Amino acid sequence: MSTERIASGDGVVFTDVCKIYPDGTRAVDMLNLDIRRGELVSLIGPSGCGKTTTLKMINRLEEPTSGSIVVGGEDVRSSDAVALRRRIGYVVQEIALFPHLTVAENINVVPELLGWSAAKMRGRADELLEMAGLAPERYRYRLPDQLSGGQKQRIGVLRALAADPQVILMDEPFGALDPISRETLQNELVSLQKNLRKTIVFVTHDMDEAIRISDRIAILRKGRVEQIGTPEEIQTAPGNDFIRNFIGEDRLSQMSPDDSVGMLLEEPWAVAAPSESASAVLERMEENDREFIHVVDPKRGVWLGAALLGRVRRAAVAGKSVVESLSRDRKLYLEDAVLRDVAEMLADRDISIPVLDSGERLLGVITSAGLARLAMNRLRGNRTARAAGEKKEGTR
Amino acid sequence: MSQKSLVDLFITFVGRNWQRILWLTGEHLLISLIAVGITVAVCVPLGIYLTRNERAAPYVIGLANVFQTVPSLALLGFLIFVLGIGNDNAICALFLYAMLPVLQNTYTGIRGVPKSYVQAARGMGMTDFQILMKVQFPLALPVLVAGIRVAMVWTIGTATLASAIGGGGLGRLIFSGLSSIRNEIILAGAIPATLLALAADWLLKRAQEYFNPSARAKRLAKRHGMSAETESNSAA
Ligand SMILES: Nc1ncnc2c1ncn2[C@@H]1O[C@H](COP(=O)(O)OP(=O)(O)OP(=O)(O)O)[C@@H](O)[C@H]1O
Ligand SMILES: [Mg+2]
Repeated sequence: MSTERIASGDGVVFTDVCKIYPDGTRAVDMLNLDIRRGELVSLIGPSGCGKTTTLKMINRLEEPTSGSIVVGGEDVRSSDAVALRRRIGYVVQEIALFPHLTVAENINVVPELLGWSAAKMRGRADELLEMAGLAPERYRYRLPDQLSGGQKQRIGVLRALAADPQVILMDEPFGALDPISRETLQNELVSLQKNLRKTIVFVTHDMDEAIRISDRIAILRKGRVEQIGTPEEIQTAPGNDFIRNFIGEDRLSQMSPDDSVGMLLEEPWAVAAPSESASAVLERMEENDREFIHVVDPKRGVWLGAALLGRVRRAAVAGKSVVESLSRDRKLYLEDAVLRDVAEMLADRDISIPVLDSGERLLGVITSAGLARLAMNRLRGNRTARAAGEKKEGTR
Repeated sequence: MSQKSLVDLFITFVGRNWQRILWLTGEHLLISLIAVGITVAVCVPLGIYLTRNERAAPYVIGLANVFQTVPSLALLGFLIFVLGIGNDNAICALFLYAMLPVLQNTYTGIRGVPKSYVQAARGMGMTDFQILMKVQFPLALPVLVAGIRVAMVWTIGTATLASAIGGGGLGRLIFSGLSSIRNEIILAGAIPATLLALAADWLLKRAQEYFNPSARAKRLAKRHGMSAETESNSAA
């Protein structure tokens, strides 16, 4: 049924995967998940929802009962399990650095299995240690026992990176750390990921962690994906009660004025092309009872300006093109705009704000209704949230 | 017999018979080494096998336990019916007697390696054999060597009984001293046997230390011209 997805699956693709353990436990139940290449996806959910099982099926530490899992375009069952595992990085919560091996040897476990030369392995260990901010000459011959918890887990991550796999699996890698080193490592992972663009499947039960590091978050429940989306989507539009509870009312009602405006983007009601005459545009605006319209170059999507009703009317009377009526002073750029800007601009004048990317292209608009909806979502029951979620469907 | 005269007698005896004592000590050591060698060669693989076939483990270890519990002299006696008299019989008995610590320590040592290491090793793409050789065996090594140490010391002690069934070794002196009621001869057998046991214990203890990961890490660092840093470092 989903064969076309398999072909496109460059990252990690689960199709109708079930896992029933010999004792009858249904750990994973018709799981579908499409993790794109270069994406960091967190799996999160209550204990026993099948996160670890899902992860272990990727490198065949567990075999699915049914369904298919494709890694880098290849069905895992068609590859040799041992070879597959050497191609996939693996980090576990217990860290499990081998206590009898030095730091450098631990890092080079997989390269050694792959038969790299001693010189190459030594170079690789040094390179990775430096990347993690650990002086190689100090740490190379240390034993895991001589490291702090945070350092151990850093080495655990380096070990997964050593043979440069495209896909990396992490099972609650920072779960055992104190909050401060956990946050440090999360930040390190984010900056690492910015450069390396690995496909990372990250199991966690810490929502803050998932929000901080993920491109997308998959919320699992009883072996299924309950909802998947960007951290913002999950927070703005939790799909149901379970997810609301899981995310936590606290977090939902937490709205910082410094949050990005990405979650507020809406499709504009209509756009006009610069070639249209002012009178044609005026007619559409009056028909739809709108006070303004955004004018966008249809070829490249570049935003040319907003046309306000009064000025369009004047331009129409003069028989001019709509371009004559544009104003360009009210706009935001997605990269740097925060909710505070939106609130101030809307308070100043209650008409929708265009949001542009760095190439001046129109990404969407923000309306006071959208802002109000977000506020409601984060303050109140889930019915509003679901409605907003449906409304957001057409976004971007 | 006064204390002084025993010492005098002992010195005189050793002075006259030192070559024989030395030879018997060598024979004693050889018998013990062969017995422990066979024990290690059999029981280490067997112990590993048992970690993969856990259901057989209680029976096999139980059997080793039985051999261990039978009084050593009685065991030697029984074996006369099977193997006749002589050193082979003695070595065979010593092997049965030394099985338990080696078998048990191999088994518990390997089983005691935390599952998380094995899982991590498998997850990184080690084959079962690589997991055994690169992870389980090295981590079980201290326990295993401790088992061999116990077996070695026991065997050197028990080997004195070998002469009771026609075997050689320092038991010869002890038994002839006992039958002729000459304490200096007993001592001439007992003292080297004791020293042998102590020396073996010390050596194997050193071996245990040598295989210790931190000793190894230090050697590695030194070989590459670096001082191993053992000072505890600040947390992340
Ligand atoms: N080897 C196994 N045999 C039988 N049942 C198992 C096995 N491993 C896991 N399970 C069961 O499968 C279900 C999912 O387990 P899994 O370890 O995937 O959960 P998880 O989401 O990782 O939980 P946690 O957050 O506690 O780590 C649980 O009910 C668990 O008891
Ligand atoms: Mg788990």
